[in-house]
Amino acid sequence: MTENLYKNTEMMNKLDEFLLDIQKPARYIGGEVGSVIKDKSKVDVRFAFCFPDTYEIGMSHLGMKILYGLKNAVPNYWCERVFMPLPDMEEQMRRRGIPLYALESLDPIREFDFIGFTIQYELCYTTILEMLDLAGLPVLAEERTELTPLVVAGGPCVCNAEPLCDFIDLFIIGEGEEVNLELMRLMEQCKKESAPKREFLERAAQIEGIYIPSLYDVEYNADGTVKSITARKPAPQTVTKRIVHDIDKMYAPDNFVVPFCDIVHNRAVVEVLRGCIRGCRFCQAGYIYRPFREKGKTAILDQTRCLCENTGYDEVSLSSLSTSDYKDIEGLLKTLTDYTSKNGINLSLPSLRVDRFSEEVFKEITDVRKSGLTFAPEAGSQRLRNVINKNVTEKNVLDSVKIAFEGGYSAIKLYFMLGLPTETEEDIEGIYDLAKAVVEQFYANPNRKKGKAPSVSVSLSTFIPKPFTPFEFEPQASEEEIRSKQKHIMEYANDKKITISRSKYDVSLLEAVLARADRRVGKAVYLAWKKGCKLDGWEEYFDMNKWREAFGECGLDMSFYANRRREYDETAPWSHINMLVSREFLINENKKAHEGETTPNCREQCSNCGIIKNVGGDICRAIR
Amino acid sequence: MSEVISAVPSVNTRVFFSKTDRAKYISHLDLNRAMQGAIKRAKLPVWYTEGYNPHMYVQFMLPLSLGQEGVREVLDFRLLEDVPFEEVTERLNNALPLDIRAVETAAPVLKNTDITTAEYEITADIDKEDFLKFTESEKIIVEKKTKKGTSEINLKPLISELSVCERITLRLPAGNDFNINPMLLLDAYRAALGKELSRVRIVRTKILCADGSEFR
Repeated sequence: MTENLYKNTEMMNKLDEFLLDIQKPARYIGGEVGSVIKDKSKVDVRFAFCFPDTYEIGMSHLGMKILYGLKNAVPNYWCERVFMPLPDMEEQMRRRGIPLYALESLDPIREFDFIGFTIQYELCYTTILEMLDLAGLPVLAEERTELTPLVVAGGPCVCNAEPLCDFIDLFIIGEGEEVNLELMRLMEQCKKESAPKREFLERAAQIEGIYIPSLYDVEYNADGTVKSITARKPAPQTVTKRIVHDIDKMYAPDNFVVPFCDIVHNRAVVEVLRGCIRGCRFCQAGYIYRPFREKGKTAILDQTRCLCENTGYDEVSLSSLSTSDYKDIEGLLKTLTDYTSKNGINLSLPSLRVDRFSEEVFKEITDVRKSGLTFAPEAGSQRLRNVINKNVTEKNVLDSVKIAFEGGYSAIKLYFMLGLPTETEEDIEGIYDLAKAVVEQFYANPNRKKGKAPSVSVSLSTFIPKPFTPFEFEPQASEEEIRSKQKHIMEYANDKKITISRSKYDVSLLEAVLARADRRVGKAVYLAWKKGCKLDGWEEYFDMNKWREAFGECGLDMSFYANRRREYDETAPWSHINMLVSREFLINENKKAHEGETTPNCREQCSNCGIIKNVGGDICRAIR
Repeated sequence: MSEVISAVPSVNTRVFFSKTDRAKYISHLDLNRAMQGAIKRAKLPVWYTEGYNPHMYVQFMLPLSLGQEGVREVLDFRLLEDVPFEEVTERLNNALPLDIRAVETAAPVLKNTDITTAEYEITADIDKEDFLKFTESEKIIVEKKTKKGTSEINLKPLISELSVCERITLRLPAGNDFNINPMLLLDAYRAALGKELSRVRIVRTKILCADGSEFR
């Protein structure tokens, strides 16, 4: 602490004038344990890591913690955190001329070299624009002519970055651990050479995984579909996503910023595996995070111990798309509980699969306080579960529920989707029948608490087709279809122990539009933002009317993007991006879905998704 | 919930700490969490309650309002093994956020019921003459929130050791039973003045006993 740790006292004084009038001011001042403060005079490259949502959401995100730690481990690089202020704070900032600032130094982010967004869901696009504007920067990339601040973005949504191309200078496709540092090194060099922005972008285009949208021209057919996407030199015609080859040697954070206030997930998080062997046909994460790689048990234990000791957290959660698919899950849990139980630490396991929900696993997690359990069968009938390749059976669900009820749980949440391809009324009734079978399972338990009723809640979301999945060709069900499906299940319902919640169609529609949008939709995003859209993921701020007006004004039809079947030979707006899973595989999976044919999980049998062909045989660890 | 209430053994360690600058925006609840986190990171062998849901037993003497700073706040806990007090201070400082600092660790001498008064230092964009005149009024009636609702009280006889020089310093009743937040006085002044006060900074500098000595 003898170093000259930097803080912008002028900004602090300005904030002091009004922060007490703001809800939960602790979100806006940084200073938390684990936050990294450096001597500004010794820093060469500054990175403002922006999460386009609130502090509570962003601070719960593991990816941000990884990249924050990784960048700050380099002595002359400084990465700081930035979140979207809620309206009470934003209003004060705008009124007082306070630009968006980073939480560590309190410096305005427009003075940084990089402004980087992690884009986790489509409904944050307008928030990105709002944050750039609040920073005092032009939101349009072409109006930012200087090299810095360079606006970059990564995260799952940028596998189709097209609707953001007007605003972002550079996209990072795939895993960020290596490529972020490569970009920062390039920046260090370009700043020394006083290189212009254009030169930086052209050099960055040579780095694998970097997509510079301004170096690609898109042409359209008369029917509105994409005709061609052409790279301009020196950009590659296809941008291939980056992956980390050795997951055990990969950087893992040994410390987290520990927030003062409560956040969504206030606990240590350790990643146990990347990718997914399942191949559920609706799930984008299941394809874009391939190949499947597991961390070793020792590495996971070391990371758990290190994180718990450095943060003081007494809860650690294992993170992955499907933790129970860890090959030796029982061995792993034994190794971990040896440590956690000795140290009074709760171990939590989200993302368990119902078919791997064994009594052993259950015992390990029941030390944690008993709240409700959530299962996601996704579809109501076996036929439809086969279509979506969610290879769990009704028996799997009921067996798991039985274990849960016997273990003292009485509240079960079931997640389903409506509007899945080939869905019929029978499938919808199947949802309710399954929920009823769960209720019956409760009463079948002879040791149940007498006088206590089970509570089963059924959550119905609307299916959203996503790029790089076998369902990227599928239309999203129209509002009328979804309404009639919802109506059908409500009419079919006859048990008070089952509560049904439905998602709002508008939100799902917008998500579907933005997920498979082309570059022209950027104009609608811009107009919607101009009309005041921001924080669209928050019900209280979401305003579909503004979005409809925005699409209308730029002559774009939402249903063209959301509700239209796309032919196999249509050029997708994202066809110049290679996520390592081949298009032939996705087409083949789509055909199989329509025939109700399942695909075995990657551990049972390799289905040649393209990973091995694209990156070589030893990277995917699903089989070995 | 039928948690077993175990007898609470007496605390044996008292940490005096400061909470300044950015940390003034941390609520008391959050401070509690931050302190427990620091104690865990510092690996101090503190006593945990022995109920169904064991939790670390720490006790703050006098909660500080959100937005106010303190330079000698008090936290008690029980150490199960001997750790030299200087080492406790040092280990805590390595584990605390920058704007919360352990100042001194000692064995508790007095009980929280011995606290009667606290001293505050107030700075604000205030006309000091005018403020002084205000404090000299016969009565300063404010509304104070209590458990039963609000009641009117006269602050005038409760203010002691008032000095208005470069800064305003004053003492007000403090303690778990009867505590006067200095903001009450400033709010009353603001109301009398009819305009907002800016750059208000309140620092609790001392926690005091009936005989005027500092709480130990």
